[in-house]
Amino acid sequence: MRVTTISDLARPSLAKGVRLQIDSTTGKSVLLYPEGIVELNETAHEILSRCDGRTLGEIVRELAEEYEADSNALATDVRDTLSDLQQRKLVEFK
Amino acid sequence: MTVPRPYALLAEVTYRCPLHCPYCSNPVAASLCEAPRRPQGGGYSNGELTTEEWKRVIREAAALGVLQIGFSGGEPLARRDLAELIRAAREAKLYTNLITSGIGLDDDRVRALRDAGLDSIQLSFQADESSLADEIAGARAHERKLDVAAKIRAAGIPLSLNFVIHKRNIDRLPQIIDLTEALGAERVELANVQFPTRKQVDRARDIATAAKARLAGKIDIFYVLPDYYETRPKPCLNGWGQRYLTVDPVGDVLPCPTASSAIPDLRFENIRARNLDWIWQESESFNRFRGTEWMPEPCRSCPQREIDFGGCRCQAALLTGSAANTDPVCELSPNRAVVDAVLRNINSSSDYAGDWRYRQNPKPRTYVSTSASL
Repeated sequence: MRVTTISDLARPSLAKGVRLQIDSTTGKSVLLYPEGIVELNETAHEILSRCDGRTLGEIVRELAEEYEADSNALATDVRDTLSDLQQRKLVEFK
Repeated sequence: MTVPRPYALLAEVTYRCPLHCPYCSNPVAASLCEAPRRPQGGGYSNGELTTEEWKRVIREAAALGVLQIGFSGGEPLARRDLAELIRAAREAKLYTNLITSGIGLDDDRVRALRDAGLDSIQLSFQADESSLADEIAGARAHERKLDVAAKIRAAGIPLSLNFVIHKRNIDRLPQIIDLTEALGAERVELANVQFPTRKQVDRARDIATAAKARLAGKIDIFYVLPDYYETRPKPCLNGWGQRYLTVDPVGDVLPCPTASSAIPDLRFENIRARNLDWIWQESESFNRFRGTEWMPEPCRSCPQREIDFGGCRCQAALLTGSAANTDPVCELSPNRAVVDAVLRNINSSSDYAGDWRYRQNPKPRTYVSTSASL
């Protein structure tokens, strides 16, 4: 089951037991969780490092400004990334 | 060959354990279970690693690239310095898992581990209810484990349950999944040993698949199929010496936790004599099966060779007599007949296992006291 509609007002955060950290060997950002490690691409890193109580709408606006990107396309990317991570229980919404 | 960096360290801090599960594969030599003690006369000590030695292992592992540490055993709670080791691992920025029977985990201890920064606990269960679970464990443990699970939840530490699945408990999979849900665990691992019948394995897979769909987003269910029933081997360890290392209670560094008993001709290095970096990069034991150079046919020319890495070295050693053979689970292995013969044997018998033998935990030598009695 894929969550397709995440509200602009939803506040994404890392799920319990998940840590966002820089891998000092590669300099890349990783998610650490029980028995698992996910290496993040730049997009996922930019999104997750903003998951600190901000709403999804705020995160999209910030990223659109920073990267001078189209906010509709960006909103789709952000939703896809977060819902994928939510399915893997690495992200939750409040 | 460029040597990869490791990702995870399994710290087997002790082989002492209050349970006697018949399927346990840990060594039973008493010399591996002696309490830590200071070196005498300047040489290396015997017995379990000291707190300071473990801290050195942790620092060296982090410097090598390790991101995760699992504290395991035996029963790691038997080490009174466990919270101190967890704190050292967090200071080295490692993600810390505790893999435990739960026996010995009271409120104070749960708090101490949490305050040390413990990230996650994997709690073992033997079945969903006391009589069977305690029979398997060879100890009255189940009720205490239920209580421990509640304490872990109350402390807010993420909880995984680990079940070893075999002939005697595989038919209770629905109840086992119900227990996982009732205890509020986030994750459950259902790891089959090799001996259920095909009928049991197929039924269990269907139950696990349905439960996975029903509990998606709530509980992560990992159902590990026994590989005798597969036609290609598992990518054991994701390749020898590629991602994982294990340090045993006395400081031997192992490419795989079962290698010390399954591959008797492999000599392991000890962290009391060498640093972890040298052992990972240079040692014979880590390089023997690293990469693809060591492979015999049919692995050597197989398009899957960097997908399954030739399977499990220990299984090859135990079933074919040589760790350098292709894993006999592979349908292309000249030794697949060995696995098929075992399967015929399993599937011609009943669903019920015969008597089993409990693990006899080693009794560490008692240190000589000044009293002449005893």
